[in-house]
Amino acid sequence: MTFDVVYGLSPLLVVALGALLLMLAEAFGKPNPQGLAPTGEVSDAGAGRAGELGMGAAVVLFVGAALSLGVWLAGPDNLVGLELTRPYLIWDRFTVFVCFTLCLGGGLSCLLAGGYLTEHEIDRAEFFPLVLFSTVGAMALAAAGELLTLFVALETMSLGVYALVGLRRTPRSSEAALKYFLLGSFAAALMLFGAALLYGATGRTDLAGIGQAIAAIGQGEGPGAAQVLIALVLVVVGLAFKVSAVPFHMWTPDAYEGAPTPATSYMAVAVKTAAFAVMVRVLLIAFGDERLTSWASGWPPVLATLAVASMTVANLVAGRQSSVKRMLAYSSIAHAGYALVAVVATIRSPAAEGSILFYLLTYTVSTAGAFGALILCGSRGKEAVSYEDLAGIAKRHPAAAMAFSLFLLSLAGVPPTAGFFGKLYVFQAAIDAELYVLTVVGLLNSLVGAYYYLRVIVFMYMREPAPGATLAVPMRSGYVASALVIAAVLVIALGVLPNVTLEWAAIATVGRS
Amino acid sequence: MLETYLPMLFIFVIALTIGAVMFFGGQLIGPKNPTPEKMMPFECGNDSQGTAGVRLNVKFYLTAILFVVFDIEVVFIYPWAALFKSLGWTGFATMLAFIAALLIALAYCWKKGALEWES
Repeated sequence: MTFDVVYGLSPLLVVALGALLLMLAEAFGKPNPQGLAPTGEVSDAGAGRAGELGMGAAVVLFVGAALSLGVWLAGPDNLVGLELTRPYLIWDRFTVFVCFTLCLGGGLSCLLAGGYLTEHEIDRAEFFPLVLFSTVGAMALAAAGELLTLFVALETMSLGVYALVGLRRTPRSSEAALKYFLLGSFAAALMLFGAALLYGATGRTDLAGIGQAIAAIGQGEGPGAAQVLIALVLVVVGLAFKVSAVPFHMWTPDAYEGAPTPATSYMAVAVKTAAFAVMVRVLLIAFGDERLTSWASGWPPVLATLAVASMTVANLVAGRQSSVKRMLAYSSIAHAGYALVAVVATIRSPAAEGSILFYLLTYTVSTAGAFGALILCGSRGKEAVSYEDLAGIAKRHPAAAMAFSLFLLSLAGVPPTAGFFGKLYVFQAAIDAELYVLTVVGLLNSLVGAYYYLRVIVFMYMREPAPGATLAVPMRSGYVASALVIAAVLVIALGVLPNVTLEWAAIATVGRS
Repeated sequence: MLETYLPMLFIFVIALTIGAVMFFGGQLIGPKNPTPEKMMPFECGNDSQGTAGVRLNVKFYLTAILFVVFDIEVVFIYPWAALFKSLGWTGFATMLAFIAALLIALAYCWKKGALEWES
């Protein structure tokens, strides 16, 4: 019984324990002489130790991913003791799949940070405990089956990320952190208001119970039905903020650009994955009532509008950016749009939940890889920021350029990369659900999107740097390189052999009634 | 159900009316005879010195945050203490884990110098 619980929750527990130990290691470890301030005094115990601490954090997260895999193979349904955690944490195959994705994305970001923080002399090794705590929140969020747990998990995840964004101590970074914090708390407040209304209307806080109560309210014209609708709107708005869907995306480009790049990668990857997981669960379990999932009177048209707006606006604006990091931020908004198509498709296609999970996994490896390649292309004082900075980098650092191209092609959805199959299954699910218009809009947007991804490749391979321009000098870091290798292997493996993963994703459902 | 709240509404309206009458009534019909003393902001004791915006040391914020963190601990311990017997060893282990996490946080704060006022 106890063993079942401990083993089942082991990914969560290991990461939480790892975070605590890393905090101690950070504070009590011996400062690296290289990290000392010019005056020779110890500015911070974590100074100059980003590399080793990053390695530790990455190992913890990869162990978390491996344990998720172990729990998956054992089958969460076979671990009877896990019933104890219901309805607070619902530890089913859906959760375990998401946990794997989260740990993988977090681990890659930690490896990137191990190289990045040292190179750019951002001697704040708090980065790693923050990432780990935030991942604990993200995993709990993916598992949350109850409104209070959901809110606490959401805040645990977000608080860490707010601090990560402001870690760079430049005005840009502080501005980004403040913007993200204010809008993020605003979104959380809206969600909390929605949760309060839901509790008022149904008298329940567990999602399944809310779903039953809403079904019982049914077609009633009483105040309950209206209250449920308002709550639905508020919850959807709150979640749309977190996945940065247009028109709730305003914070995204600034926050993504101002944050240190590994933090950007973490935000784009883990926060979005967890937010999509909880969105699917809340919409299908709590708002899975027949009336609310119908096209005429429920959330599908709202989410479809968000999806179309996210894809179109983000793709159009992304093409006009001069900063590559900002372009990747808009690209992540566009990808939220594609995933939203699959969320809408869940109303009629049972395969859609699996396609979301598979899409999030492919998106995680591609995006973490793309940000990693961007990190690798620059070094201290000579960061690769704009397209011009990347001109001719293929000659100076062929490996970095090749890795960057691979991840960009995957993001664009070119076969045989992971991104192609991610998009393919999302659109397949949409066609299954007879959402033809959404599918066509999505496909057209993929074409538009290819333009700005390919533009980076054109600059890297076919342009010469302008005379007298400051050249981006690629950095040397084993941490970043190893993260890129892991991501590249996964991008290719998921692109060549998607079947096993897809079969797994297909049976990872939230178990709606 | 909403009728239950009707008295509340009355209280709001009455309170608002009384407040508004006193506030605006005084302004409208009260005699105005300003002297320098009357125009000063009201305060007990000595005349106020300096500007209103005082810069506070940032250390106060750190102390306040730490106080909140370790104060919330008690909020969780009270209900546990009240149900100590019925929660049994599981509850005890849970609380131990919680306090251990807090201890780690305390050690971290200490080592990082957050508890030192002079530095």
